[in-house]
Amino acid sequence: MARTATLTFDRGTLILHPPPRGKAWMDYATWDDRIEKFRIPAIKYRSLVEALQVSETDFIDAAKGFAHLELVPALEMIPYPHQSEALAAWKLAGRQGVVVLPTAAGKTYLAQMAMQTTPRSTLIVVPTLDLMHQWYAHLVAAFPDAEVGLLGGGSRDKTSILVATYDSAAIHAETLGNQYGLLIFDECHHLPTDFSRVIAEYAIAPYRLGLSATPERSDGKHADLEGLIGREVYRQRAEDLAGKALATHEIVQIKVKLSQQERERYNQLIQIRNDFLSQSRISLGSLQGWQLFVQMSGRSQLGRRAMLAHREAKAIALGTDGKLRILANLLAEHYPERTLIFTADNTTVYRISQELLIPAITHQTPVKERHEILTKFRQGEYNTLIASHVLNEGVDVPAASVAIILSGTGSTREYIQRLGRVLRKGNIENKQAILYEVVAEDTSEEATSARRRGEPKKKENLQVIYGSGKADNLKAAEQLELNYDVTNRVTHPSPQRRGDYPQETET
Amino acid sequence: MINFFQTSVGKTQGSLDRQLADFEGDTTDYRMKRGLSYILKSSFCNFEVVSPLEPTMLRERVYTLAAKSVPSQESTAVTLGDVAAELSQELQREVLPAQVLAGLYADLAENKLLTAFDAPTATDLLHRYNLSQVQGVFYKASQLVLNAHRNVPGEYKLLFRYLKLFQLMVYVEGDADHGFTITIDGPTSLFNPSTRYGLAIAKLIPALLHVTKWSLAAVLQTRDTYTNTWKRGRFTLNSECGLVSHYPKGKPYDSMLEASFADRWDALKSEWVLEREVDLIPIPGSVMIPDFRLVHPDGRSFLLEIVGYWRPEYLQKKFHQVRRAGCDNLILAISERLNLEKAGVKLNDVPARIVWFKDKLLPKAVLAVMD
Repeated sequence: MARTATLTFDRGTLILHPPPRGKAWMDYATWDDRIEKFRIPAIKYRSLVEALQVSETDFIDAAKGFAHLELVPALEMIPYPHQSEALAAWKLAGRQGVVVLPTAAGKTYLAQMAMQTTPRSTLIVVPTLDLMHQWYAHLVAAFPDAEVGLLGGGSRDKTSILVATYDSAAIHAETLGNQYGLLIFDECHHLPTDFSRVIAEYAIAPYRLGLSATPERSDGKHADLEGLIGREVYRQRAEDLAGKALATHEIVQIKVKLSQQERERYNQLIQIRNDFLSQSRISLGSLQGWQLFVQMSGRSQLGRRAMLAHREAKAIALGTDGKLRILANLLAEHYPERTLIFTADNTTVYRISQELLIPAITHQTPVKERHEILTKFRQGEYNTLIASHVLNEGVDVPAASVAIILSGTGSTREYIQRLGRVLRKGNIENKQAILYEVVAEDTSEEATSARRRGEPKKKENLQVIYGSGKADNLKAAEQLELNYDVTNRVTHPSPQRRGDYPQETET
Repeated sequence: MINFFQTSVGKTQGSLDRQLADFEGDTTDYRMKRGLSYILKSSFCNFEVVSPLEPTMLRERVYTLAAKSVPSQESTAVTLGDVAAELSQELQREVLPAQVLAGLYADLAENKLLTAFDAPTATDLLHRYNLSQVQGVFYKASQLVLNAHRNVPGEYKLLFRYLKLFQLMVYVEGDADHGFTITIDGPTSLFNPSTRYGLAIAKLIPALLHVTKWSLAAVLQTRDTYTNTWKRGRFTLNSECGLVSHYPKGKPYDSMLEASFADRWDALKSEWVLEREVDLIPIPGSVMIPDFRLVHPDGRSFLLEIVGYWRPEYLQKKFHQVRRAGCDNLILAISERLNLEKAGVKLNDVPARIVWFKDKLLPKAVLAVMD
């Protein structure tokens, strides 16, 4: 007598052996000569199981490693309307899909609600160690009786609720793949890279939730999110939520003149670079031009010199002493308000940290100390904090009312996310957050700053020369161009779902 | 470069880095210099935080005090002075403000001290460098096809042990006369070529270098970031490549049983020649690597596998493999100490010639089943 077909999990794939009767499963299976059995991509688990059940094919599911969880929430809030709507839309889509909400719109609580209505072993994937600890703290508070663990930053827990970084989850994708029924991707635009996508591809999880403020990627790969998580089920803009869940804020741009000495050196370096570029007929206006420059700098000594000159010039513009003086002025003006300072490079972070004795967070800061610094900042023991890119995404610093960007690399997403840091609604009534952007005048940085705001180069309606007084501060959050349409899509009723995974938990 | 490292013992990584950067200067071979220094740093150096004041605690102290005044150059000097004075009192020795400032970030990589340097020879360093360069190519590999001929089983076993360790999959085809084709990739390679297993394949290369006779071709997938398309490439290498492995060599024999059997065979002076270079026996999902090959001048040959003391699961698997191998010239030498029935192994449908032995396997017993 033939044995019953058994579905097993093998390092990011499924093996169905011996082959069952019927044809329903054949659409998903590929013959593997190496083991002389049929193999199926893990991500097809839900479709396969549904197909087998529809055709009433007997099989043993030995692949499924996730379990039912008893989740008793200790932390419950009345959800904002957009949270309830997003949850309903996600459930209607078969508990698969992406929810787009601006930074600080309460994505963590939305995820908590999703977990409560889908109580299965859950893997939460986040881009940074800060976010990992933030999620961890929230989940421990929300579900005190559940097992919550961490994967990444030195931790390697194996718990039924696991918070992992994208990097660690991708490294361990082969073993995590069948352990979780629900996957939650925070800042899910990180998922579609060649390295990270395996977290979704090697997983059998029938339920998937993607969260992001800015799912769009400049490489166009956000289109892959639909296959990896599900289609976009809900979207709200910051404007629509402003005043409700988010604080208002204004932006002030400050231009700093380079010192005489810096200016001379800067011009000299740019001259060296430009001479080489015109000699080699390279224009830096395009990506190809830049690529060519990089290639040439590895081949000739002149090219190498030009590249080093380019870097030094950039370093002058980024770290000019003028910026430090402006910074000291701004800090004095706002003392003791809670202030965040952002720079693009670690050298500047540590320089300022040592010159002005301001606590710093970079990728080199130990996890425990990073957590302590953030806690002290929240409690008010520290009132200033300087960070490089590490605080870019979604880290909850509710008390900050002033942010100062000292330098940065241009990218729309980064800009919005940095704004989100001060946008968060604190306990203070009518909190008006201020964001200062300090750039060196007449350098390549200006173009970066304009690109970051998604503006054409020469439009200077934002410009405020420092010293002209706060009354001239021009723009408030409402006027910020986020460039996204509201697509409050009508969701379609999901096809009838079958399967031995849950659908019973209802609203 | 090795000299730079040797003279930097006791100094900070930052000062070593500056020395290396000066050496780099505006030369165009900076990539090679960086590669060499990376190998030296990661494999031969020991960096440590050396500070009389634990930096994390020092920072907490300094920043807590500093937060009480408006940040400025002047208040920095005051705060550092205050902390220095406090520490001087606590530690009962003079601590200068400059030392407080220096200790503030003593745990940063650039401020760590090089405490020990286990200098390699220039030749060893170059071997490592060349191997690393070649390994780098395999990061982009989606598949490796290895052509192997008869090799010593110990070499094969080491290779397949690493294959298993790195979670790779193999598909073995061919026979000893035409050579074996060993295709190496991973579980999901079936659906589309992926560089996911490139790192594991790269780590395998030093193990492969211990195998005597082979050649390989790797399929490379590289993404052109400017046109955003995938390109396919091919990379070949063989056992004459001159690369030197830094992985430890495998043992010539798996057990004393094998070693003493080989010694006894040499003493026998039979026409049958006992070879260590064996054929691989492909089986679905795996491969069998026999311990010996016996060759007669008239062209006949047998493969010999010695089954000594093992766990029941291992035996079951072994006999299952033999059944699936469909190999007609296999001899199994099985220890009588094994309780096969208890292990649930039935011998009647094993398609191999079987020799029983007690404590030692005698060559005569093996000869008897061949003639």
